[in-house]
Amino acid sequence: MMRKKSQSLLGMAFFGPALVLLTIFLFLPMILTLVFSFTDFFALNPGLTHFVGLDNFFQIFQDEEFRRAFLNTLCFVLIIVPLQGLGSLGLALLINKVTHCKKYFKVAFFLPVVMSLAVVSTLWIQIYSPEGILNAILENFGISAQPFINSASQALPSIAVMSAWQGVGYQMIIFLGGLQGINPALYEAADMDHATPWQKFKDITLPELKPLCIFVFITITIGAFRMLVQPMVMTGGGPSHSTYTMVYDIYETGTVNWEIGLASTMAIVFAVFVMILTVIQTIATRDKEEKDVDKKTKKK
Amino acid sequence: MLTKKQKRNNWILVIVLIAASLFFLFPVLWMLANSFKQDAAITRDMNSIRAFVPPALKGNFFDNYVKILTDTSFVRYMLNTLFYAAVLIILGVIVNGLAGYALAKIKFPFRERWLMIIMLLMIVPMETIITIHFLFIAKVGLLNTVIGYVLPMIVNPFNIFLFRQVFVSLPDDVYEAAQLDHCSPIKYFFTMVLPMSKSVVATVSVFTFLNVWNDYLWPSLVFTSGDLLTAQIGLNAITSNDNTTMGQKLAVITMITIPVIIIYSLFSKQIVEGVVSTGSKEG
Amino acid sequence: MSFIELKNVCKKYDKTEKNAVTNFNLAIQEKEFIAFVGPSGCGKSTTLRMIAGFEEISSGELYIDGKKMNETAPMDRGISMVFQNYALYPHMTVEKNISYGLKNMKVPADEIKKKVDWAVQILGLEEYRCRKPKNLSGGQRQRVALGRAIVKDQKVFLMDEPLSNLDAKLRVSMRNEISKLHRELGSTTIYVTHDQVEAMTMADRIVIMKDGVVQQTGEPMELYEHPCNKFVAGFIGSPQMNFYDVQVERNGITFSDGKSIALPDTVTAKLQGYDHVIMGIRGEDIKFDGQNLDVYRETRQQAVIENTEIMGNENNLYFEFGGITSVARVSKYEVSRIGDSVDFVMMPHKMHFFHPQTEEAITVQGRGGL
Repeated sequence: MMRKKSQSLLGMAFFGPALVLLTIFLFLPMILTLVFSFTDFFALNPGLTHFVGLDNFFQIFQDEEFRRAFLNTLCFVLIIVPLQGLGSLGLALLINKVTHCKKYFKVAFFLPVVMSLAVVSTLWIQIYSPEGILNAILENFGISAQPFINSASQALPSIAVMSAWQGVGYQMIIFLGGLQGINPALYEAADMDHATPWQKFKDITLPELKPLCIFVFITITIGAFRMLVQPMVMTGGGPSHSTYTMVYDIYETGTVNWEIGLASTMAIVFAVFVMILTVIQTIATRDKEEKDVDKKTKKK
Repeated sequence: MLTKKQKRNNWILVIVLIAASLFFLFPVLWMLANSFKQDAAITRDMNSIRAFVPPALKGNFFDNYVKILTDTSFVRYMLNTLFYAAVLIILGVIVNGLAGYALAKIKFPFRERWLMIIMLLMIVPMETIITIHFLFIAKVGLLNTVIGYVLPMIVNPFNIFLFRQVFVSLPDDVYEAAQLDHCSPIKYFFTMVLPMSKSVVATVSVFTFLNVWNDYLWPSLVFTSGDLLTAQIGLNAITSNDNTTMGQKLAVITMITIPVIIIYSLFSKQIVEGVVSTGSKEG
Repeated sequence: MSFIELKNVCKKYDKTEKNAVTNFNLAIQEKEFIAFVGPSGCGKSTTLRMIAGFEEISSGELYIDGKKMNETAPMDRGISMVFQNYALYPHMTVEKNISYGLKNMKVPADEIKKKVDWAVQILGLEEYRCRKPKNLSGGQRQRVALGRAIVKDQKVFLMDEPLSNLDAKLRVSMRNEISKLHRELGSTTIYVTHDQVEAMTMADRIVIMKDGVVQQTGEPMELYEHPCNKFVAGFIGSPQMNFYDVQVERNGITFSDGKSIALPDTVTAKLQGYDHVIMGIRGEDIKFDGQNLDVYRETRQQAVIENTEIMGNENNLYFEFGGITSVARVSKYEVSRIGDSVDFVMMPHKMHFFHPQTEEAITVQGRGGL
């Protein structure tokens, strides 16, 4: 009828601008990335493009640089996830407990989050420099000067520590929100049952925070997978490719070397990893809610 | 009520946390203090507590800052970025807001399907398609233009979803009352929906600003010439120049952080809300 | 032709079997105050929203002022509406809320001012002109909603449960204000409510609905005195009418607990041909006073008071009789206590009889045939 038709028109008028932009800047690029990943498309000579099937996928996993980048990324993930995840949880628990200066603590630990990665990286180049402030502090504790980002063995962990420093406040705020959402009556009931502080933490806080923990840890993992700006600003991927990451490889292959076909293949591999993580995150956090609902309905 | 022992423990905790926060913030404190010093003083102070103390407030106190502001195009870069942020906030709120409103309140074909697609798009990492964006912008000759920079950043599935979640709970009867008051749908969106949803508009605006201000990869691809650089790319250009002293570098990164700190202190409620909402989003 | 006319109006939602509203027929005269009343989900609000144009009419015709309105946009139907949750514009002041529609209709500024002044004055909102809705009480918000509706000079007023969010005392005073406003402005009003008291006290005519079907239309006392079926009889009036399953005897009726009442011939004549009927009687037609006990002494009954509701001006007495807990409404001078054994009579001419299956009222002689 008339009314339905006018609603459809109105809907498309409102949704239209977004739809056009989504098509140009999300749907098409996604399809093109998928298509290019099966070709040897070279942007400086597009005429010579061939369909190469799965060749690119074999090629990148044999490619020394990509393998290195992949392992570096995993290594970065392994360092930063426990550091940032447990760090943010610990901070949140302490700040939630404290009665004074709560606001100051929240601001202090959140401050690096609002500084950009490029700014933080630029700052930490100075902090990490051989004659920098960090080495000066270490010297006061009798520790000899460290090369940090100038050595192949220390560069990646150094960047990981810096990244955790930058990001820890973000997850801390999320955990604080979660802690405030726990019903205080639970703790009062536990007090009546003579629970020790450790028991309260183990039997109330942790189970209540569990879905949030899963969410936070996977968020950090996804963020770590996407790491690029820090090595770009600080080390250029070096020394000797020790801080070269997957996204760095995609970026260089695609926009510096113009090998769009190969870059697309890497992007697909990268996207698959990130999307698997996101799906796990969604299922893990939603699963809990559905179980809760099940329990409630069974009780009824 | 706290017992005596709990009170004492609490004070110990406060002191421990203050110490921890000072240690945590040492890079920032060092940056601030030394951004006012000449390089010789920075090196001299490095091994003492003076490394964290700003110099005496004398005539040359702001030298590093003055030098950056007068000798480089940093002010211009900052103004560029502010302009881009303003444009993207306005266009972003309109485009994503209209789409969010359509998904929330207007019955058009495949609405539920579109909502699903928007939610799926939220999980696609931008890094995957940034190469194609770059290729596209280069092909249509928009490299080094404001349009080329802004266009791919307007639409944002996450913001569409955020708007939709807020708009869906707006009361329908207000829309009906407005209809009887001869208010057209588009007028309703701008004069009713947006003012009634100030909080989400503020959240989206603040996050758009932070995103534009802090973004590095996309502007570094689009902008190569000096005039249009964003502050972050300008920062890189200034700090990688050999003539820039360390004190001046620290002054630049301090200045580039100031607008963000101002935004943060003005809108901390929206920021915390936005951060917490990502942690408690459902499905 | 009537001012508003609904002809066989139906509403059927997609993906549902049953109609939300079935064959709604009604003719409304100009300046009439009509109330749609019924339990929640009976289709009264849906009907109102079809008249307003917010719901599509699935079939049937709607005429306002002689013009067919089925496909007309709400704003062009010449109506104004007051919503259950007020639907005020939260970020606008009282004044702006009231003037918004006039501004959109391009009314000249001085005229807008005149109208707003008038509405604000008539509704007693002078002090609150510059406040926003969140700083107003429920009653004040409802006045603003009324103001927004009256300034537009529309011929039809639609009100969708406008008082349901107010507390009991405020509801009574707003009831009077709306009635007064209606008398002064004389605009045709359709008023939806689930509260039969509101309908009874305010409306010229009442439309009672159930499950999407109109049960009865009529003036308040007509519905009260001559309900056309058991549902209407039970819905109108408080406390609810007592309903008994009774067996029809030659000269009276027998209740399920074995008690019998002899009835005059004029009443039994109506029941000819029925075995069983449902007998309904209102609480105030069960009498305890000496005079009535004397007049109807042959049919005098006895019961033990089990519970009382003391209202002050009158009291409700609950007692077990005829297989159900019956309620009688007595004046404050007839005091009974719980446990008292009392005599009472049921006024035979005030009894209502309903068909045991269809629950339609039995009014004509010997229509049954069971």
